[in-house]
Amino acid sequence: MNKSLLLVIIILLLYSCQTVQPWQRGLLARPEMQLEPDRLQAKLHSQVYFSNEASSGDSEVAGAGCGCN
Amino acid sequence: MALTSAALALPAFSASVPDQVEIGIKTTAYRESDQNPESVLVGSVQRYDININQFYLITPIGRDWGLALDLSHESMSGASPWGTVSVVGANTQLVMSGATIEEARNELSVGVTRYFDTASLGLSLTRSEENDYNATAMAVNGEWDFNNRQSTLAVGLSYSTDSIEPSDALSFGRTLKQARRNASFSLAWTQVLNRASVLQSGFSVTQHNGYLSDPYKLRDIRPRQRLETAINFRYRRFMQRSDSSLHLDYRYYHDDFGIGSHTLRSAWYQNLTDQFQLIPSVRYYSQNQADFYVGGDDYGLAETVFQSSDYRLSGFGAVTFGLQGRFSQRDWSVSVNFERYLSAAGYALNASRAEHPGLLRFSLLSFGFDFRL
Repeated sequence: MNKSLLLVIIILLLYSCQTVQPWQRGLLARPEMQLEPDRLQAKLHSQVYFSNEASSGDSEVAGAGCGCN
Repeated sequence: MALTSAALALPAFSASVPDQVEIGIKTTAYRESDQNPESVLVGSVQRYDININQFYLITPIGRDWGLALDLSHESMSGASPWGTVSVVGANTQLVMSGATIEEARNELSVGVTRYFDTASLGLSLTRSEENDYNATAMAVNGEWDFNNRQSTLAVGLSYSTDSIEPSDALSFGRTLKQARRNASFSLAWTQVLNRASVLQSGFSVTQHNGYLSDPYKLRDIRPRQRLETAINFRYRRFMQRSDSSLHLDYRYYHDDFGIGSHTLRSAWYQNLTDQFQLIPSVRYYSQNQADFYVGGDDYGLAETVFQSSDYRLSGFGAVTFGLQGRFSQRDWSVSVNFERYLSAAGYALNASRAEHPGLLRFSLLSFGFDFRL
């Protein structure tokens, strides 16, 4: 049931997307539209929150651990 | 913020061959607020101050390869909680480390990526060193563009080994040497929704095996295995009318320590002029306590029974307010960022009955400089 629901959501999402040609991606290519606009800030946040909270994990695999947690 | 024609031609969200050398440095002062003296039974009230220096370099190598180098150095001083004492009829009190702890951590990460027409494959190695904790990690990442390059599937695998040798182990009766291994898998699908918005949905699972307790705590006995899963969503939308961009991130996390958490972060990238950008942000976090969390260390329990009074395993919520300013020219930019983090049991979605006295408040102040050659 859950897998069927997930499949329906994926299909709906794909069909709801507009075709965007490469020359129409000017806004998407702007620095502030990137998933991680500031590489060092993202690494800093990951380290600080990993040290002080129980949770970790994002869309990338984990890096090296530290003695902070 | 002018766009180059090269940027316009690139697929927006898949890993593309870097077309120039990028270098960035950032220096950060991290300051934890002092502990309330009334909550400390013995030890120092001063929590950690950490100075963090970061550097990265990304460069193309030939037509099809890219190299990424990341370095960071942290120097820290302060005290941390060693345990808690519960007294009937009174608030739980902290046993803090006494003498000021001075430590440093250095991390080096090197990654190479091979780019193909609609895919990329990367390998990275990371080494982190402290006087009492060393870690080595290897990661493999692959990305594949499809659906007219509007969809990108990213897969990652990593494996790391950590070695723990606590300081002053003989003097304090701590374990002498321990190890842990960590394996992680991630899957992320990034979808361009239209000309101005994109959504990434991701999933990650991490397995830890080995010594997962805190060797510096007076009584901290945790399971030797931990399975963590997280689901992530990241949404980006550009609004031409206001010349701004909205970022919305959400993560649901769960592990077999019994901890579940929700993390919601929002940032607003407001372009004020062609050069100047202001970025306010807010982050909310809420977690419930681990199954074996105890408010006060219980020395009556056998050493085979799991228990921990670590504030990071208690039930609490946290709010972070941030403000960043960025000034950009064609080939370089400078940024200043300030953040304030506040945590309390009452901020949690399911507020805990008793608040851990060691919950943190901290500030971050960063200065960054990025340039492209």
